[in-house]
Amino acid sequence: MASVTATDDRPAIEVSHLTKRYGTVTAVRDLTFTVEPGVVTGFLGPNGAGKTTTMRMLTGLVTPTSGTATIAGRPYGQLRNPSRTVGAVFDASAFHPGHTARDHLRVYAAMGGYPDSRADDLLSLLGLTEAADRRTGTFSTGMRQRLNLATALLGDPRVLLLDEPSNGLDPEGMLWLRGFLRRLAGEGRTVLVSSHVLSEIQQLVDDVVVIRRGELVAAGPWSRLAGPPAVLVLSPDADRLAAVLRGSRPDGDPPRVDATGDGRLRVHGLDAAGVADLAAAHQVPVHELVTETTSLEQLFLHLTTERTAS
Amino acid sequence: MHHLIKAEFRRLFATRVGAGLLLAAVLFGGGLMGAMALVGPENFDPPMPGLDTEAGLRAILGMLGYTAFVPAAVGALAVTSEYRHRTAAVTFLFAPRRWQVLVAKLTTYGVAGLAYGLVLAGTAATALFTVAAVRGISLGLPAGDVLALLARIGLAMVVYLLIGVGVGALLRNQVVAVCVVIGYLYLGEPLLMMIPGVNALYPVLPGGATAALTDFTYLADAMSQEVGSTAVRLLPPAAGALLLTGYALAASLIAIVLPMRRDIT
Repeated sequence: MASVTATDDRPAIEVSHLTKRYGTVTAVRDLTFTVEPGVVTGFLGPNGAGKTTTMRMLTGLVTPTSGTATIAGRPYGQLRNPSRTVGAVFDASAFHPGHTARDHLRVYAAMGGYPDSRADDLLSLLGLTEAADRRTGTFSTGMRQRLNLATALLGDPRVLLLDEPSNGLDPEGMLWLRGFLRRLAGEGRTVLVSSHVLSEIQQLVDDVVVIRRGELVAAGPWSRLAGPPAVLVLSPDADRLAAVLRGSRPDGDPPRVDATGDGRLRVHGLDAAGVADLAAAHQVPVHELVTETTSLEQLFLHLTTERTAS
Repeated sequence: MHHLIKAEFRRLFATRVGAGLLLAAVLFGGGLMGAMALVGPENFDPPMPGLDTEAGLRAILGMLGYTAFVPAAVGALAVTSEYRHRTAAVTFLFAPRRWQVLVAKLTTYGVAGLAYGLVLAGTAATALFTVAAVRGISLGLPAGDVLALLARIGLAMVVYLLIGVGVGALLRNQVVAVCVVIGYLYLGEPLLMMIPGVNALYPVLPGGATAALTDFTYLADAMSQEVGSTAVRLLPPAAGALLLTGYALAASLIAIVLPMRRDIT
């Protein structure tokens, strides 16, 4: 697949004051965020937070009550041959069970005006060549997800929207999906992936958009939201090590050192190498040294509970 | 637009529906007509006029019109299958101007209905003429008239297929839509004929309009005799054809307009 570059200055995906009400229920409330190309963005929130509704509004399947959702600066319905710009996967299985994988792709290749050879290219890209002539009714979850992706990629789109793609995937399937989406983002595409299973998506995403009860909680690069990692260190001589670390930068900003209560120290402002070098220089024994990254789950709980409290 | 029509034809022939439709046309056309002609209407219970009379010939041709629930059910099945298998979202992602998708479907199924009607009428004609020749019966109408009546029935099948598409687009639930279509055409309409007063409506219902095409009043007359109501007067054939066309247009309009703004969840 060729490398893809955005052709205009507008953000690939732009959601602005988007609201959707179903009767008295507000599924999405005044939601505003943008998604950048070249990275994988996680669209996160608990079940029922409004992720699917938002993604369906982005693709014109659901009409917003108010606000706008645009892709490459245009509402979905105004894109010329939209499957050339956007690929989207919503349902774990969206095939006629009596169609073969090749039939399914050829129906949509015809719809988008792509040559039939495109169907075979994608079957091969997604490792489905062997299953091309099997009826989709016999497919496993992993194969269905691959066929969904193949359908979404028929038009070689530069924006990809995936709603809960990891649902039902086994660890091997998850690993494959991660690699595949990373590659697509690496080609310069915009990839938005929704999930409520945060541990599954943590290793995949660069940016996150977190929503809860239809409202934005946080958005931005994951590393900025998570903050710099801390270092956990275990030493039989913890008090001396703490003193060494605190005194390590007399003229600058000294590292913050806290006792964790189980004999370890949590150090902010120094990386693992820095801690190890100082301990070695002062001959303080170290029995364990771990870089502690904030998990998406911790951040998510922190963000959503903070929001509830306020 | 031609992309969408091409896609719908592929969708139709990728499943067994396309082949099933042709098989049904042969079975109901050649099979049913052959069987009726072999047995002979004079041997029906109650007996009907024989094939050597115009009334007898019109009666068994009219019976063929009662198989219209088959293309109607196929139309309903085809449209609702997109909702049942959740491909509607994918389809509308590829073609956000939803009315174009429905126009493509109507075109495709209109052509399929025409093929169904042609095969139905063709095999029925073959069976009828072959059986008549074998049994040494001289038919109650000239061959040209018989063919013209069969052609009308064949064309009516296009209308029924489109009515099925309209009902499917309206109801979206596959089981409900197919049950409604078959239930109404196969049971509902004949039952309506039995209700005094309501049966006056029969000539303007799809079944009555189809019967008008072949001036087939045998069933309606039998019904009204049974319940002692006044005989049903069918529309003239041309008016019946016009009315059926109206039904097809109305069903097509429903199919095109309804999905336009509905949320696909």
